[in-house]
Amino acid sequence: MTGNSSPRASSDDNLNLIEHLARWITWPRFVFSLIMMFFLTSILFPFYWMASSSFKTYAEIGAREPVYIPGALRWEAYKELFDYWKFGANILNSMKVAIPTSIIAVILSTLGAYAVARLRFRGKEVLLNGILLVYLFPGILLIIPLFAMVAQIGARLGFEVQDNLPVLVVTYLAQTLPVALYMLANYFRTIPKEIEQAGLIDGCSRLSVIWRITLPLAIPALVSVSIYTFMIAWNEFLYALVFLNRRELFTMPIKISTIHNDPDPRPHVVMAASTIMTLPVVILFLAMERFLTEGLTAGGVKG
Amino acid sequence: MTASSKASRSSRRRWKSLEAREARLAWFLVLPTALIVFGLVLFPAIFSVWISFRDVGLNNLNDVFNAPFVGLQNYRNVLKDFAFKFQGLRSMGAAVNSVVYSLSATILTIVIGLIASLLLNRPFRGRGVTRAIFLFPYVAPIVSVAFVWRWILDPRPSGVLNDVLLKLGAIESPKAYLATRGLALVLVIVFEAWRYFPFAMLMILARLQAVDKTLYEAADVDGANAWHKFWYVTIPELRYVLGSVFLLRLIWTFNKFDDIFLLTGGGFGTNVLPVLTYQFSFKAFNFSKGAANAMILLAILVVFLVAYVGVFMRNAED
Repeated sequence: MTGNSSPRASSDDNLNLIEHLARWITWPRFVFSLIMMFFLTSILFPFYWMASSSFKTYAEIGAREPVYIPGALRWEAYKELFDYWKFGANILNSMKVAIPTSIIAVILSTLGAYAVARLRFRGKEVLLNGILLVYLFPGILLIIPLFAMVAQIGARLGFEVQDNLPVLVVTYLAQTLPVALYMLANYFRTIPKEIEQAGLIDGCSRLSVIWRITLPLAIPALVSVSIYTFMIAWNEFLYALVFLNRRELFTMPIKISTIHNDPDPRPHVVMAASTIMTLPVVILFLAMERFLTEGLTAGGVKG
Repeated sequence: MTASSKASRSSRRRWKSLEAREARLAWFLVLPTALIVFGLVLFPAIFSVWISFRDVGLNNLNDVFNAPFVGLQNYRNVLKDFAFKFQGLRSMGAAVNSVVYSLSATILTIVIGLIASLLLNRPFRGRGVTRAIFLFPYVAPIVSVAFVWRWILDPRPSGVLNDVLLKLGAIESPKAYLATRGLALVLVIVFEAWRYFPFAMLMILARLQAVDKTLYEAADVDGANAWHKFWYVTIPELRYVLGSVFLLRLIWTFNKFDDIFLLTGGGFGTNVLPVLTYQFSFKAFNFSKGAANAMILLAILVVFLVAYVGVFMRNAED
């Protein structure tokens, strides 16, 4: 019995595999896999196309048929991007805008959110509703008066409005603070009041309670707010387009758009620049995915 | 007795001053945020109304406050503009285009988001990674994804879509997808859904995971099939989240500038009000005409919101 069973067992195994597969693929599973494949392809293909195209040569780009897999990992496009287009300066500009936006937004929204979540004061509802109104106004509506207004202030105080990166930071703050405030206020409300009251009874002042007790507990929320504001400032297009004129001050999105509009089309260089711009965002996002998903649903992030 | 009443009064006074101190602290804490947000959003919004009744161009931008009053002239100019007004189905104008584009993009976004959230709601191996991948289009910079899609839809035979369709024999010769009236509008709508479905998915998924499982068990007892369960249990449970996602996405899509500007530049029958506002203000440098156009945009939005809230409230009362 044992002697006979071993060859039969192997054929059974084969049969089992097919049988297994046949049994596994029920109609719902089949449909599920099919739809899943469709989703994954349509999401991932554009990103694959971006990254792979950045390694193509000019010949591969100009071929009559698309080249799906570049012949080799060639850095031609990246070299052109940094040597000819001076993209390094643009990366730096984007950082100069995105990092201060993120830091200032976290500080200001932490203060504001704490007041909204914990303290009682008159006019809180009006203030909150007013800040929510920001959701309603299109950026394009605000940019005309802002353009005129800031020009006035600039003329009075003697600074250039155009080509001024700090001006961009302030406008990005106005765009991101409302959501940051909501996300953080929601989070602060989940921290039990009793912990803070214990601190107050021990004789700490409000500010030191915020600093020593509330903030360390809110680190996940602070991280997600800072990444969210960083991403908004990093990706922003319209305000940078209107406020920046000098090429050496362009942030990455405007520079990429300039390279794209070059009369001699250079898609591989555009893709190289896009890859450089997308990579940090995607890495940050993947690293902090859990916090961010919570934050995105809590604040209904604008975009 | 007097002593105790005095003590309670003094403690009340102290309580009051503590309350006042707390309120002062609160205002001190919110002030920077409030100043930036109101100064850079609400004040400009009001200022924009003012500009729309004046004549502001490049020449008097430095002297805005003395710009001449022109009444409704800017609004008349916008309404007469061929880029704005409806002239039949082949050139619908930015106003009608905006409504068509944002309504259909929002609905498509929600349908795809719903499908995606149903896919991710059941446990399977690799669900976490899949969910993260599904969010890619939403977190990636708009400039990068818009240019990738433009290149995939490239009119030359080396465009990916052209290549695939030519090889499949679906088309005879390469097509200029984003430069064909009608098709271009459909494609920007599809792009919008591709980019923003993750937002709808996240919201719906959060609600789906909070649905009471006993509802499905009860449906099983009643002999319901999967479709019945979806239609009579899941959808009613999702009603409110679908309503709010619809509202938010509609507002944001209606206000959206970047996507269409980067994909088609507003050409080939895809011009929408935000892009037109940009063209009036920063291509023709007629700032007041741009402001008037933006005010019309806002007016359409507000009328819609009032109508939506009215209908929604009435339904909620029923």
